[in-house]
Amino acid sequence: MHTNGTSWRLQCTINGQPIDTEVEQDETLLFFLRDRLGLTGTKGSCLEGECGSCTVIVDGQAVNSCLVLCPQMQGRTVETIEGLANGDKLHVLQEKFLASGAAQCGYCTPGLIMAAKALLDENPNPSEQQFFEGMEGNICRCTGYAAICEAIRSAAREWK
Amino acid sequence: MFFQPRHVDEALEIRGRMGSDVTPLGGGTDIVVTINKTSMRPKHFLDLTHLPDYTHVVRDNGNWVLSAGATFSQLGKLPMKALAAAAMTVGGAAIRNTGTIAGNLGTASPAGDGCVALMAIDAEVELTHATRGRRTIPIHEYFTGFRRTALLADELITGVRLRTDWRTAWYKIGKRGSINISLVCAAFGMSPEGGVRMAYGCVAPIVMRTRLAEEIIEKDGLTDAAIEAAAQSVMKEVAPIDDHRASANYRRAMCGVLARRLLRELRIKNTG
Ligand SMILES: Cc1cc2nc3c(=O)[nH]c(=O)nc-3n(C[C@H](O)[C@H](O)[C@H](O)COP(=O)(O)OP(=O)(O)OC[C@H]3O[C@@H](n4cnc5c(N)ncnc54)[C@H](O)[C@@H]3O)c2cc1C
Repeated sequence: MHTNGTSWRLQCTINGQPIDTEVEQDETLLFFLRDRLGLTGTKGSCLEGECGSCTVIVDGQAVNSCLVLCPQMQGRTVETIEGLANGDKLHVLQEKFLASGAAQCGYCTPGLIMAAKALLDENPNPSEQQFFEGMEGNICRCTGYAAICEAIRSAAREWK
Repeated sequence: MFFQPRHVDEALEIRGRMGSDVTPLGGGTDIVVTINKTSMRPKHFLDLTHLPDYTHVVRDNGNWVLSAGATFSQLGKLPMKALAAAAMTVGGAAIRNTGTIAGNLGTASPAGDGCVALMAIDAEVELTHATRGRRTIPIHEYFTGFRRTALLADELITGVRLRTDWRTAWYKIGKRGSINISLVCAAFGMSPEGGVRMAYGCVAPIVMRTRLAEEIIEKDGLTDAAIEAAAQSVMKEVAPIDDHRASANYRRAMCGVLARRLLRELRIKNTG
């Protein structure tokens, strides 16, 4: 498959919805989600893979959406923070972040929750080491992490 | 143009025809950072991530064969200590899920942790051309200069072969525990036949081996005296620079420390 000029016909699934639209070949998934689909829950900050605020899940794995080019998502399944709640019913990670007061400014929260979801989907009972490895790519500059870890741990206890 | 071949022959044909006009794209963790941060825009992309088996890691006759697109997350699970440990120090989980071994070799940074680990086990790199076919070269012949390699502009990296029976050790000195670019890193390996490899990153324009130190250990074994002589030799052989991450003097001193530490580790431990 290849582009027509620099324009690519992207077919993929985002939060369960089929997507079929034209994208530019060097457009990143982050700005496609935010600017074209209005899914502004996914944040951009460092744009170099260091902060984790743009984390989404692609085919079950945590990925930095700022470092993915849209055509690479051909045929892939993307989950963003907007896909977690079921109607008004929040996802257990969202509930626990609220209950633990794990957000302050909140900018890193969607990325943290998506990284945590990928971690717990793969392994609902991670060791300290595995927990650290799964979450080390996500930075929070407000809270000091204790409440965040508590929220993820308590979500893990109820993981289904 | 953005090409997304579904078969390796098609990928090789496009690369063979377009050469350096087309940019192979793996996980994008180097390329897309450059796109985000500079005005550089590749005109043509060759997306390899949809090739069948691009991420495969298989055993073959006592070797491991990594497909070019094996990710750091995959390498982190291999029973080869230096390579697995090096892979787990790269970025965070999201970077490890996408960053590939071929991308590390393609960028060929002197700080390439995967490159350093591969140097310690005499890995072989498979470079393939559409019609000339595949050539396999030893990793120490792959790096030819600062970010220059033996990969020709019309070839693709298609795989890496590793032996499984080496003892290895790894250590990376960085400034923090996560998302941590090396100030100095080292990977050492010992073959069952007694061959010794001592590879360092961030201490020269290319990832390098300290061959005089290797010879000392190969000749005298892992005695205290030989380890100290090797450490002294390492500090003479490396050629680090001062930069924003660390001074040359600090790096040189740490090379000696890592030599002692990793050689002792190889002496104690028998596996991995
Ligand atoms: C936040 C962050 C942290 C990082 N930390 C580390 C670290 O600790 N250690 C480290 O070593 N690196 C690190 N990196 C750098 C990067 O992740 C690695 O170099 C990675 O291996 C690149 O792989 P990729 O598949 O993403 O490469 P890409 O960006 O897709 O490609 C990199 C280069 O390789 C070429 N290439 C890719 N595949 C092939 C192929 N099959 N044949 C020929 N050429 C090819 C590309 O054309 C390009 O020139 C980090 C990057 C980020 C963003």
